[in-house]
Amino acid sequence: MPPSSNAEFLPGTLYMLVLRSLAGGPLHGYAIAKRIKDCSAEALSVEEGSLYPALNRMLAKGWLAAEWGVSESNRKARFYRLTPAGRNQLQKESREFDRLVRGIQLVMKNA
Amino acid sequence: MEWFRKLITRAAGWAAGTDADAEMAEEIRLHQQERAEELQRAGLSAQDAGRQARHEFGGALRAMEDSRSAWHLGWIEDLSTDLRYAARALVHDRTFAVTAMVSLALGIGVNTTIFSLAAEFLFSEPSVRDASTLAAVRLGGNSHADPEEFDYLRETGIFAGVTGYRDGEVNWRHGEISRRLFAFRVDPDFFQLLGVPLHAGRPIEPGDRDVALASHRFWRTALNADPAALNRTLTIDGRPHTLIGILPERHRTVFGFGLSPDLYLPVETERGRLALYVRLRPGVSRPEALERTRAAAKELDRRYPGPHYKRAGRVEVVGLAGLEWLGNRKMVPLATFFAMLLAAVNLVLLIACVNVASLMLARASARTQELAIRASIGAGRGRIVRQLLAESLLLAMVATGAGIALNLLLTGLLNDVALPIPAPIRLQIQPDWRLLIYSVAIALGSAVAAGLLPALQAARFAGPSALLNRGNRQAGSGSRLRSVLVTAQVAVTFLVLATAILFLRNLARSSAINPGFEVDRLVWASMRIVPERYPSGESVAPLVAAALQRLRALPGVEAASAVRVVPFNDQETHGGAIRVDGVEVPISRIHNQVSPGYFHTMGIGMVDGREFQERESGVAVVNEEFARRVFGPANAVGRTIQLFGGRAITITGICRNTKFMTIGEDDKPALYEPYTVADGDRRHKLAWMIRTRTSPAGLVRASEQALLDLDPAAAVEAKPMQSAMGFALLPSQLGAGLMGAMGLLGLTLASIGLYGVLVYGVARRRREIGVRMALGARTTDVLGLVLRDAAWIMGVGMAIGSAASFFVTRPLTMFLVSGLTPADPLSYVSVAAVLALVAMAASLAPSLRAIHVNPTEALRSE
Repeated sequence: MPPSSNAEFLPGTLYMLVLRSLAGGPLHGYAIAKRIKDCSAEALSVEEGSLYPALNRMLAKGWLAAEWGVSESNRKARFYRLTPAGRNQLQKESREFDRLVRGIQLVMKNA
Repeated sequence: MEWFRKLITRAAGWAAGTDADAEMAEEIRLHQQERAEELQRAGLSAQDAGRQARHEFGGALRAMEDSRSAWHLGWIEDLSTDLRYAARALVHDRTFAVTAMVSLALGIGVNTTIFSLAAEFLFSEPSVRDASTLAAVRLGGNSHADPEEFDYLRETGIFAGVTGYRDGEVNWRHGEISRRLFAFRVDPDFFQLLGVPLHAGRPIEPGDRDVALASHRFWRTALNADPAALNRTLTIDGRPHTLIGILPERHRTVFGFGLSPDLYLPVETERGRLALYVRLRPGVSRPEALERTRAAAKELDRRYPGPHYKRAGRVEVVGLAGLEWLGNRKMVPLATFFAMLLAAVNLVLLIACVNVASLMLARASARTQELAIRASIGAGRGRIVRQLLAESLLLAMVATGAGIALNLLLTGLLNDVALPIPAPIRLQIQPDWRLLIYSVAIALGSAVAAGLLPALQAARFAGPSALLNRGNRQAGSGSRLRSVLVTAQVAVTFLVLATAILFLRNLARSSAINPGFEVDRLVWASMRIVPERYPSGESVAPLVAAALQRLRALPGVEAASAVRVVPFNDQETHGGAIRVDGVEVPISRIHNQVSPGYFHTMGIGMVDGREFQERESGVAVVNEEFARRVFGPANAVGRTIQLFGGRAITITGICRNTKFMTIGEDDKPALYEPYTVADGDRRHKLAWMIRTRTSPAGLVRASEQALLDLDPAAAVEAKPMQSAMGFALLPSQLGAGLMGAMGLLGLTLASIGLYGVLVYGVARRRREIGVRMALGARTTDVLGLVLRDAAWIMGVGMAIGSAASFFVTRPLTMFLVSGLTPADPLSYVSVAAVLALVAMAASLAPSLRAIHVNPTEALRSE
């Protein structure tokens, strides 16, 4: 079930954003949240209460893999990385999202 | 896939000993620390940064809970949690659990055993390769066919193969004694065409002569399971045969019904009639094959216009497995019988379920507090229902396990006993996927039947308010529901009992029926001679005569007679028409051959005319039924009839009707001709009836010895006719035994149910009874209070039960002797009487308990 509690997100986009932010390499949970926040110029902020359940669900779906490592601040942290299935999923979701946004834009311009 | 990954991940985590919750907490702590550091870098104090970070994160517990649920395995995990909890609850209340499980296990054990039995008889497949393309072919309704019919069918190429077998007896010479064995004689290609699997050795092949295949049982019991028995020589019918193979333990013949030959032998050079089996060509459907077989039957009728019936008149191609086999006309009574048995065992199981439901209701009212607490801390109604259903499911699962153990025990016993009938029937019931599916269905059904109503009832009252009013309302309503359940139980019991009593009366009536001859004073002696020593019918005739002379000379023997068709043991019905004054009269009849004096020997009275005498030929005695059907009210004595083939015989007398196969059967027409030695294969089987002056048991040994003296190589057997009536009462005994047992079981369960409800009612109304007594109620008033409840339950239950029985037992007429109808008032009255007696017994203890209520104590409690 995609998280929908976060009003700042379009429903169902959290997975896509997480997948995208992991496309560059493994990150731990906090870094994922921060990456989304920074890249969106603070427009999007991931609610922590839904980030970790979502990460677990994505692990269960096989899109992500996780292992323990050491963070830049030298702490023990759990790093998430994309699996091939996750990469496919990212492509699929971003394609559909593009289509959706284009559709909305067309309506907003022409209707 | 996802489900599987979750399972693997969790199993791996569990195996590695990692604590997922601790890891999650660690991860969250890291998150908050990183955030706090960032905030500190932005200028907050360490303390404020920590607080802010925790605040921003929100409910860490909730996040952990949600993360955990991402790994949830769905309903299976819910179920296992529910079951774990149920197990704890049941262990806690052991008396309840054991009572419920025992009654369910009994119900399920008996139920699945009947199912196994039914499946064995109705659905078991013969031991062959690809049973679905095999079929039995009947020409003119006959299971057996002549050699020329075989040859022609092979010639047409309709089928991939045509083969057959004939069953019969052979003598096995073993040391100094001869034993009679039951054998299938098969066409040379029988084993190849059917693909019968073997335990050891090789099958019978074309060109084989004097070889034998032994059944596993014969190899085990007669040859001591000797692995070196292969290639050993067995003396069969006087000729040495080489044992070339052994059949597997689970071998089912193409005939079905557990018929188990000791040996398979090749057919003799003179083939005779064989049961006709075919293998369909690939791609040819059964209806197509049937169409072409019809055409072939027409051609056969044209080429060989021999028989007294038209082969094309009734052509059948009957599959040997599945529904097609069931739809076969011969199977209908058997299928109906098993359907009735299954219905009865399921009703009995339902009665057991109602008892468990009743116990659960009582338990639920004791657990009101617990359930109310669960409801008030957030368990929804569905959750509580699910939890309570899990308890009944667990009960039903354990009970089904025990029930299956009982099933294995009972079917094992059934497999081991030889049925007391003159046919070698051996059951080979094995637990299989059918039993598994049925048991699962039964377990789920029982769980729902026993648990759903109580669970709904309990959940309805498990509101937070139940914490306050201590569940009085609930108890009242629960007891009403229990009364309804027990009423239903009484109704169902009535139905089962009515059926049981019907069958018991049927047995009583059949036992009272005279078979038409004097069973008590008869000995039946039989002899199977070795064919090699008697090449022709003429060589047998002196033996029959000498045997008669010797038997008659034995002290204590009043009369003796040779007979072809021994009542209740052999069955030989002839179809086809006879001619009377040139007019064809179709009549299916028992065609017997007896030596003079037979009617006196058997004690069968003559109605008219006389028995035929020595050296008379072209004469016959017919029974009343034959005379009635053929001649109507006209006198039959002295009339001449023409049999098939034009042989004319004159009727010298009319004898009384007798029974031939079962006591309950309708009278069959019979025709008795003077004894002649049979032709072909059957001449080797001889039988005599001996009428004794005293008890027949004393003459058994002497008769056997007298026959052995004449031919020591023969297999000889004598027994009192009383114990050779195998089939006679079998249907009635089977019906009465099985249904009687079920009626008894149902009655016991229902009386326990009634007892429970009454006891519970008294306990609940203790206070009320106390008040009444304090206000001056007499013992009789208190008794009335209890008995009124019982009377209501019984009255309504019996009314519903008798109405149901009236309609449900109607189709059972086919199993009853004529003159007994299912809707017989006497049956109903006796059921009602039995139930009333049991109800009185069940209300005795509760009544005593009620009148011994001490008013002061009853009022002080609570």
